Amino acid sequence: MNAMPEISPALSAPPAPRRRKAKAVNGSLIAAIGVVVLLAAWDVSVRYLHTPSYILPSPAAVVHALASGLLVSPASPLGYYIPLWSTLRNAALGFMAGAGLGLVLGSLMAESRVVEKLVMPYAFALQSLPKVAIAPLVVIWFGFGDGSKIAIAALLAFFPVLINSFTGLRATEPERIDLMRALSASRFETYRIVKLPSAAPFIFAGLDMAVVYALLGTIVAEFLGAQQGMGVVITQAESVTDVAGVFAALIILGVVGIVLHALVRRIERRVIHWSRRKI
Amino acid sequence: MNAQASAAPLIAMEGLGKVYEGASGDVRALAGVGLAIRAGEFVSVVGPSGCGKSTLLRLLAGLEPCEEGRLTLADRPVTGLSADVGVVFQAANLLPWMTVAENVALPLRVGTARRGGDPARIAALLQMAGLGEFAARYPYELSGGMQQRAGICRALARDPAILLMDEPFGALDALTRERMNVELQRIWQQSGKTVLLITHSIAEAIFLADRVVVMSARPGRVLADLPVAIPRPRSFDTIVSHPAYAALAREVRGLLNAEGALE
Repeated sequence: MNAMPEISPALSAPPAPRRRKAKAVNGSLIAAIGVVVLLAAWDVSVRYLHTPSYILPSPAAVVHALASGLLVSPASPLGYYIPLWSTLRNAALGFMAGAGLGLVLGSLMAESRVVEKLVMPYAFALQSLPKVAIAPLVVIWFGFGDGSKIAIAALLAFFPVLINSFTGLRATEPERIDLMRALSASRFETYRIVKLPSAAPFIFAGLDMAVVYALLGTIVAEFLGAQQGMGVVITQAESVTDVAGVFAALIILGVVGIVLHALVRRIERRVIHWSRRKI
Repeated sequence: MNAQASAAPLIAMEGLGKVYEGASGDVRALAGVGLAIRAGEFVSVVGPSGCGKSTLLRLLAGLEPCEEGRLTLADRPVTGLSADVGVVFQAANLLPWMTVAENVALPLRVGTARRGGDPARIAALLQMAGLGEFAARYPYELSGGMQQRAGICRALARDPAILLMDEPFGALDALTRERMNVELQRIWQQSGKTVLLITHSIAEAIFLADRVVVMSARPGRVLADLPVAIPRPRSFDTIVSHPAYAALAREVRGLLNAEGALE
């Protein structure tokens, strides 16, 4: 691990409705071909260019490392399961705290110009800070236990949800707000019945980013010191130059990231059932 | 004219004006509009684009504050939103995450009418609009005409005395639009509501209305208030051959032409 990406979560537009089955099959075929080509190039470059294993381990060595982490009893301290569980639990708690706060503050900002003016500059200032730089401070405040992991995960998950929910709520079609006004609906009724569902595609785009950022934040916090977690697995492998072990752990994290993303998309499709067809 | 129309005006406007503050100066939308509408009357308002027709409707609905002139509903000044007014919007403006029945019942769930819901009334409204079988469907499963019928049902949910319609059929194709006009005439005759319809279509305005109000280009004023002396129920087959229809259509067209609306 080095710098953690300071990607400013650019506002992502609501995802387009899904295409038909044929396209999906085509897509996974292309993805599979990509993986095969990548693995082949990797294997060839290690085999014939005699790259030392401490720079780039062979695919076989990485698969072996993966197997030794996965093909063990879930209770084994040598396997991935215990550290992965610890990382996922802290990431999930941080995600809920950060995304929850982001949604609440984003909503207050969308509803009130005063809150917007008050909060927006700080939100951007906070987002501009390199999180790696403030992570040690967070560890000092929250200790080496789960607290600092959850706090950094929350810190990273907060911003995309804040900005996306704010923008989405403000983007509510004025005709829909007129409708609620003509019915003399209360502010909260308008928020709950019209604005929140209107903003849902934006909010989910924010949650999609936030869930991966929470995982990232947890790992970063674990690098700074932890008893448990995938970050610890990586630092331990690095300390004995077990590059294959590092690769294996990174692959696990990559797969977890994809699964989390897919999970959010699945929930999104369930919740925003009406956007499958354009009205 | 409708049998329920009575002498005292239900809606009265006098010297009604409206100025919008814009980034590049103020824009006067309405100037000195005077109009009286009796209970049970159907009045169409036609005018060039941007003549303030929609502003007029927004003032009546209480969506914009009335700051200039006098505007009364049943002799009470309009100060805000009234439960006695139902609004039908341009395009149906249904909420896509709710079923048709939920959309139509929305007015009974919010605001002052909360918990005033009568499920039987919603079912009856949908039945009347020919949407009975579509109650559990979502808006995207309906055609444009059906969506707008649901929009009308929603405006009628609180059983308001007044129905305000802002170019409700503008987005529909010509044939669907004619069918919707016939439907609306039927709904109006059954319900006895007072209706103010904003439209771009001269044919639609005459077909539906007791009176056609022609507005000037911005700032909007009332240019003419023309009674439609054609017996009801009207149909598109017979109305075009009625001598009053052709004369009226020519007059309205002439007025709009003079305003530069039909160039």
